[in-house]
Parts: sequence; C-alpha cells; structure tokens
Amino acid sequence: MAMLSFEAKYRVRGGTLIGGDLFDFWVGPFYVGFFGVTAIFFIVVGTLLCVWGAAIGPTWNVWQINIAPPDLKYGLGLAPLREGGLWQLITISAVGAFVSWALRQVEISRKLGMGLHIPYAYGVAVLAYVTLVVIRPVLLGAWGHGFPYGILSHLDWVSNVGYQYLHFHYNPLHMIAVTLFFTTTLALSMHGSLILSVVNPRKGEAVKTSEHENTFFRDLLGYSIGAIGIHRLGLALSLGAGIFSALCIVVSGPLWTRGWPEWWDWWLNLPIWR
Amino acid sequence: MRRAAILALLTLAACEPGSKNTAQLGYRGVGMEVVTDPDVQRARLAANPVPAPLPPAPPGGPVARWQNVQVLNELSVGEFTRTMTAITNWVAPTTGPEAGCNYCHNPANLASDEKYPKVVARRMLAMTRDLNTNWRSHVGQTGVTCYTCHAGAPVPRAGLWTYTDQNQYLRAYLDKSDVRVQSYAALPTTGNRSSIKQTEYTYALMINMSNSLGVNCTFCHNSRAWATWQGAPATRVTALYGLRMVRHLNTGYVAGLGEVLPDSRLGVRGDAPKVGCATCHNGLHKPLAGAQMARDYPGLWGHPGPWEAMTAADSGKSGITDYRDPTGVPTDGSAPRLPDAIPPSRSMGTPPPVRSSSAHAPLTRTAAAPAQQR
Repeated sequence: MAMLSFEAKYRVRGGTLIGGDLFDFWVGPFYVGFFGVTAIFFIVVGTLLCVWGAAIGPTWNVWQINIAPPDLKYGLGLAPLREGGLWQLITISAVGAFVSWALRQVEISRKLGMGLHIPYAYGVAVLAYVTLVVIRPVLLGAWGHGFPYGILSHLDWVSNVGYQYLHFHYNPLHMIAVTLFFTTTLALSMHGSLILSVVNPRKGEAVKTSEHENTFFRDLLGYSIGAIGIHRLGLALSLGAGIFSALCIVVSGPLWTRGWPEWWDWWLNLPIWR
Repeated sequence: MRRAAILALLTLAACEPGSKNTAQLGYRGVGMEVVTDPDVQRARLAANPVPAPLPPAPPGGPVARWQNVQVLNELSVGEFTRTMTAITNWVAPTTGPEAGCNYCHNPANLASDEKYPKVVARRMLAMTRDLNTNWRSHVGQTGVTCYTCHAGAPVPRAGLWTYTDQNQYLRAYLDKSDVRVQSYAALPTTGNRSSIKQTEYTYALMINMSNSLGVNCTFCHNSRAWATWQGAPATRVTALYGLRMVRHLNTGYVAGLGEVLPDSRLGVRGDAPKVGCATCHNGLHKPLAGAQMARDYPGLWGHPGPWEAMTAADSGKSGITDYRDPTGVPTDGSAPRLPDAIPPSRSMGTPPPVRSSSAHAPLTRTAAAPAQQR
C-alpha cells in the first residue's frame, strides 16, 4: 500500500506505553498497539451488548431502543442483566473503549514527538461522559442516576433531570458552558471562513498570506489573534465548554437540590442591599 | 492563595454540601426522581411542628343542645368542649382580653354572633368537614384540621393571597380552569388560541404550586409530554383534585368572606384573602408531613351543615357568586366556569382514579426511610 508523504514519520517504532514491541505494528494505514487491541475488544463487546439489549427489548425501532440503567434500589451494586445489569456492562465497555482510545492517541503522539494536546482534548469529552454515568451516580449513591442508552430515552432523561431543578438555564455553570459552546462555534466559523477565503483566491490571484488574514481581522475587529492563537483559543473554548458541561451536571443533585432560579437568591441576599 | 480560599468558601456557601436522599418516581433511567437535601428537609419539617392531641373526651354522654350551634351540633358536651379547646389552641392560643375564647366569643353571651371571627370560624368548620368528608380524592384519610393552615395564629401562616397588579394568574385557584395552553398537534394550527400571556400565567401557577409544596416539576409531570396522564406520577392526580378542591374552597367558603371581614383583613383591591396550595402545604408535599391530626377530632368529620344557607345569611347573597378580581381586569365577559371544568375538547383523556396517597412518600414523617440514602 502506498504511503502518504508524512506517513514515514508516523511509522516509527517505539513510544508505546505498554506491551513493548508486541503490538507495535500497523494493519494497513492503522496503528494497532496494545490499546488498539483493548479498544477493539471493548467496542465489539459493548456493541454486541447493545444489540443484545435491543433484542430482548420490545422494539427494533432505532429511535425507541432503550437500554436503561438499574432502579435506584440497587444503589451502587450490580443489577440483574435485564434490569439494568446490561447498562452497567455497556458502561464498563464504553469507558474501557474511550480510555483505550485516549491512550492509543498518547502512543501515537509520542511516536510523532508532539505534545499530548489531542489525548487531553479527547479526554475532556470522555470526562464529560464519565461524569454523567459514573461520577454523578456515585456521588448520588446509585447507578440509576446515569442516563439511559437510547436515542429518545436519553432525551427524556435530559428533559426530566432539567425540570428537577425547575429551570436548568439558571444553572450558572450551564450558562458558562452554553456560552463557551456558542463562542466555539463563532470562533470556528470566523476562522474557517477566513481560511476558505484566503486559500480560494480569485482567478489570476495568488493564495493570500497570514499578513492578509491579520489585516482582515484588524480591519474588522481591531485585533487579530494570529494563526497559532486562533487554534489555542479554539482549544480553550471547546475544552472549557466540555468541562463546564460536566461541572454543571455534577453539581445538580450532589451540591444543589432546589430549583436553579432559587440559587440566585444569594444575589438578592447580598449584604449591600439586603 | 487566601483570596482563592475565600472565593472557594463563597462558592460553597451557595451550595448544599453533604449526602442527599433520592427517590424514584417513574420508570428507571428517564430521570423521574426526587433528590432532596436532608438539611433542607429538616428545616422544612422544623417549620411545620405538629402539636400533640388533647386527651380524649369521656365516651358517650348526652348530645349537647346549644342555642346557636349550627355545625358541631351532634357532639357530646365533652367532645364539644374538647373541640372548642383544640380550636382555641390552633387558632387563637395567646392570652389577653381579646384572645383565647374571647377572640371569637363575647364572654357574656357565648351564643352571640356579634364578633366577626365567630362567623368566620363557623364557616371554616363547615369547610373543614366538607374537605374531610367530600374531598378524600385530595386529603385522603388524613384530612385537615384548623391547625393545618392556622398553625397557632388567627391568620394562616402562608399561601393566602389577594389580587395585586401582578398575580392575575392566581385566578386559577378561584374560578378559572383553562390552564392547558399546549397544542396537541404538530405545526401551528388555528385550534389553539392560547396566548403567550396565558402561557405565562400557567407557568407562574405551576411555579406557585411547586414552591408551595417544595417539589420540582417531575414530582407530578413526566416532562416528555406534560399534558398526558400516561407515564405521569400518581401525585399528579392528587394535585389535579387539589386544584379543584382549592377552587371549591375559595368559591364556596373563603372568597365570600369579604362580606364579613373588616377592611383591615382585605387586600389592596378590597377582595377577601383566598387560599392556595401553600395555605395547607407550607413547603411540604404533604401538609404537616402527613401527620394524622384530624383523626383524633371526630368533630371535624361529618356533614358540613347547610353551609350555603349560612353563607347566604352572612352576606345577604347566594353562596356562590362571581369572585373575579373586583377591579375587573379579566374582561372576557364570560360567565364563571364551574370550578372543576376542563374543556372536554382540550383534555388529554380521563385522569386515572386516585391511588393510595402513600404511593410516593419521600418526605413523610410516617415513611421509615426514603428509598435511597447514601
């Protein structure tokens, strides 16, 4: 199989975290590694468990398939397979697959001699998932607080958990997370449109340089963050969005049980005007 | 470092640290649950103390024959006196020339109706009997006593309301029943004429109920589909009958007291105080955390007496009148609806029959322990 020009750098031996040379090989264009093996294992097991859960459930309608966590009465113990145990096994598989994938990213980063930005960034998404199905359920004392695996059923969970706090948009950490998500989108659209325009010049013109990019944003906003800066900003915004998402749900229940609008009473109760 | 510590302390001060109690209200996994903080619940229970019952009256004895008793007229002398003592403790327990028995009675002539609190008290007794006898769909076998609302004060401690510029939505506690504003069909149609304002009224009413009971939205609703009875907790049925009950109490007994009460007891627009959910509930989803106070007082059960005739005699009017806001802000010109009418074309099926009210009792005193405790 032909190699792309940068693959020579990619296909170097070493840099593995575990397993030494044993799994240090490629299948076609894909690096395997120890964590590639564990990732494949967890992905296959988890997917088959999902299919099993659908098979013993009432429907094959993909929208309505629902693999629900156990009743709260099982606490942090194991539940019977058909009453949430399957959800527990799938959760273990999912966490195993996600963590394997992040560690495989670490190994590839080490091979390339680059920083660990990619596994860190991916790790934030994994952290958000782990917060929902492991950290918050453990804090509240039952696996049943996790969200169900199903397209519509997990939306029911989101809606009902939101209304447990009367109006989730008053959750201050949710506010920050939403703001960061929107700002990420704004930054990406501004950056993407700029790059598309400079690399697609008019007929007869040359591709523009970073001086052109900087000038455009200095004219538009009075400031240009620069070519490296926009990527650092993008990383910070998007990871912040994920981190504050995890925070806004982990405090809902473990640290606050009433309506989120009521939380803002601290503002009304400030000693300056109370 | 010190600044960071202060900031962290300030942040924590706005939190409820410590373990939580949880209870499941619906099918697993869809978030139908209640999460409560034990400290918050303790504070709510502490705000609702329950007095011990008076020693029982000697059984038997002659039925009392009084000059001017219209409701409690089938009790023995002992039970009647005991009930009067209990009411005094519940409503006007302080001492003084115009307190205790004298809050309602002229001590020289106990039969006289010259003091307005006595007229009010008689109507409230009829109302209590009506509640305990005819509204078991809401009050169950627990029932209510004067103390449920009064808690040792002549004016109930919470939830009384009169009209202001900002609470028209509370008319749903009086005579307005069209709180259903959602469409049942996809895409905009001409079938649903509900305005944003009506929608806001419904939301405000729901938040008022939520605050009154100290519960969240999912205590009664499955937010997957607010209006359907399918998949909703049984508590929603109890709440529906509660809303109908409050309308019945206000239109039948309470709102008409404007004819009897002195001006100092009326609202800024001259209307009589009316009850809401909080009047009994006071922050708990079962008033007094489900304490069975009324069980010990047979005088609070039974026929309410000819209350419509009494009401007419008090006010010179018929029992049920149009008690809309006296300044007439709602101007749809329609006759007042029956208190419990839900337009059949807008309803989402029939509510299921009321189930045992102990089905979901995460906050009651009688329940040994909530379902889960970390």
